[in-house]
Amino acid sequence: MKTASLRGTAVTARVGLALGVAVSVCFVTGLISHFIQHPQPWFFWPTRPVWLYRVTQGLHVISGIAAIPLIIVKLWSVWPKLFERPIIGGLVRQIERVSILVLVGSMLFQLSTGLMNIAQWYAFKFFFTTSHYAMAYVAAGAVLVHIGVKLPVIRRALGEPIDEVPAADGPTRRTVLRGTWLAVALATVVTAGQTVPLLRKVSVLAPRSGQGPQGVPINRSAIAAGVLRSARSPDYRLTVTNGSTTRAFSLADLQAMKQATHRLPIACVEGWSVEAEWTGVVLADLVAAVGGQRDSDVRMISLEPPGPYSRTVLPARHARDDKTLIALKLNGQPLDLDHGYPCRLIAPTRPGVLQTKWLSRIEVVP
Amino acid sequence: MRVILVALGVLIGAYGAVLLWENPPVIIMRILVWAVVGVVLHDLVFAPLCVALGFAARRLVPGKWWPPIAVAAFCSVVLAFLAVPVYGRPGMRPDNMTVLDRNYPLGLWISLAAVWACVPLYLSWTYWRASRPHTSPPDSARSR
Repeated sequence: MKTASLRGTAVTARVGLALGVAVSVCFVTGLISHFIQHPQPWFFWPTRPVWLYRVTQGLHVISGIAAIPLIIVKLWSVWPKLFERPIIGGLVRQIERVSILVLVGSMLFQLSTGLMNIAQWYAFKFFFTTSHYAMAYVAAGAVLVHIGVKLPVIRRALGEPIDEVPAADGPTRRTVLRGTWLAVALATVVTAGQTVPLLRKVSVLAPRSGQGPQGVPINRSAIAAGVLRSARSPDYRLTVTNGSTTRAFSLADLQAMKQATHRLPIACVEGWSVEAEWTGVVLADLVAAVGGQRDSDVRMISLEPPGPYSRTVLPARHARDDKTLIALKLNGQPLDLDHGYPCRLIAPTRPGVLQTKWLSRIEVVP
Repeated sequence: MRVILVALGVLIGAYGAVLLWENPPVIIMRILVWAVVGVVLHDLVFAPLCVALGFAARRLVPGKWWPPIAVAAFCSVVLAFLAVPVYGRPGMRPDNMTVLDRNYPLGLWISLAAVWACVPLYLSWTYWRASRPHTSPPDSARSR
């Protein structure tokens, strides 16, 4: 059987359907992550189950990686169309070609920049988060247009049997599909271990092994944050304010307060996550110590010099949650400097980048 | 239905274009170049290379061996793509040893070896199945 007949709408539509599912999961989970980081009044993000963000962001990266073999096969199955005549044609033909260019270009942009970002390889000279976010809408729009245009073809192709001609020898369209699903499974297995503990050992191409100081990887080191001296200073105080009420806590003061221990995952926007045991002061207790209200948002400010992630606002729902801690210990030991010593925020269902480390100030937002 | 899909798609895509437009011109150019270079690399380098390799391999490989070899070759391509950002650890920083902390060359070669080891296993299995008398329905019955 010739390759020419292996290609065909029966394969394209089925692989396209799987690609559509992967891209949809990737788009929705990406939007969730975006709106947690850039909250909108209409956006609701719960505090339970505590592993919710771990799952959504894990799925974001897993579905993106699964889309790589799918898009390779999808493009393979339609590649000869690139050279179909007329090459230029009329206006409708040109519009169709441009729409496909936008579709393929935006998809390859998303997959390539996403894959590079999880390995922290910034060879492109534009800001990752904003361009990845903007291009996601371009890709999603192009996918919808493509489905709209091709809907009759897709319907017909999905109704057709895969193998019209029984093949005596060599690969069939069924082989192509099975090979595709196999490659998707393989791509998942070799990378998903950075968030799925069961796969940790076999994920040989995952950017994270899940190891790190105190059994937890880090994303921003104390050196990179420039806090080596300030975090270890004997004059260190955690200042908690509510309007004109201000209290300063030394590390010993915090240790003398009532301690709570919770198992919470730390889940990075880059798709890795691990669960750990965190011990510290319940944030709501500190807020109550300065007379803060339970329905107030709380601002977290790091010792790190001002930058995009040196301060974050924790929504009231998370701030009053009894599992939200100002952690002093990780897995039974005092926080490693790279994990945010002397104290850091750890809250359920929040991206790691918003779990502010090396806290210097907590402000109840009026 | 189709009109709604297309209209919605144009709307969402336009919103993305507006977001991209907020960048300075030099950044917009870099983003567009990255996207277009991706398409060009696929359509005019990667795809023709695959066709050429496939064409050459089909002369050398017997028909019965072709399906598992093609699947193994495709899996190897996927593994190679996934290895690009980690193999030489281009994103490694000396202050953080928890990123890119695996032996990726070893991992890639082991996974490639595992993939290709499946080819003789699969072939032996198909030969063994074909040599068993009267246990599976004939090909003509299965294809209907």
